[in-house]
Amino acid sequence: METLIFYTTAFFILAAAGYVVTTMNIFRAAIGLTGVLAGIAGLYLLMNAQFLSAVQITVYVGGIMVLIVFAILLMPEASMHLRRENPKWFRFIGGVSAALVFAVLAYSITAFIGAQDAAGTSLEPAAASIREIGLALLSPGGNGFVLPFEFVSVVLIAALIGATTIAKRTPNPETKEEQE
Amino acid sequence: MNSPGLEHYLIFAALLFCIGLYGIVTRRNLIGMLMSVEIILNAAALNFVAFHRFKFGGDVAGAMFPLFIIAIAAAEAAVALAIILALFRRKRNLDVLSDNLLKN
Repeated sequence: METLIFYTTAFFILAAAGYVVTTMNIFRAAIGLTGVLAGIAGLYLLMNAQFLSAVQITVYVGGIMVLIVFAILLMPEASMHLRRENPKWFRFIGGVSAALVFAVLAYSITAFIGAQDAAGTSLEPAAASIREIGLALLSPGGNGFVLPFEFVSVVLIAALIGATTIAKRTPNPETKEEQE
Repeated sequence: MNSPGLEHYLIFAALLFCIGLYGIVTRRNLIGMLMSVEIILNAAALNFVAFHRFKFGGDVAGAMFPLFIIAIAAAEAAVALAIILALFRRKRNLDVLSDNLLKN
């Protein structure tokens, strides 16, 4: 049963991801990306990482996707209908390089990780509980993550302030010169 | 078929990563490139969770890194979209190849 769910979800995610990178309508790509992110949340759930799954849904599907869709709707003429202007060799090179990278990755995964896995060095499959995650997030010291936790909050504040400052409507110097 | 283990998830994440890589290389629209980056980040986070579950017996650190990846990705998306919006106001298009704003 787990196998069936894994392969179904994996196939769904790969199909959606392929749609995201090939479709010529950015809005449809955003919908496809929603499918990818929700599918990844499903895989987290399959790996018993419930907290990560919930975070994935709330932050990615609920936050970042809404942001991207808003951005697309704010600039429709630049993103809705893309023309396929890339020369064919451009996409060919992209596909070849992606395939080469995948070949290297797949070889190293099967050759090294698989061998290690067969040698029995792995621990019993288990997942961190929500309680463990919460304790680790707020405890200082060797196994604690309170310092990066606080740093991330500073980074988020800085990013929000920076984003609003950058996106603020400023007088365009080029058009001003034209008016004068 | 045996139940999915570490290798299954790693191969899947590698595939997802390569799809995102293809998207970054071939996309000319800035928002499209940003979406490909999100796919790549998700593939990386999936690797962390797979290792944490199947190799290190539920070590908390493996569940922590995806959390931080997600937080940083949110910040990155906000800043990137703000920059894209500012660029769009000035240039009226989001094509990376036709953009020579930084050149002049």
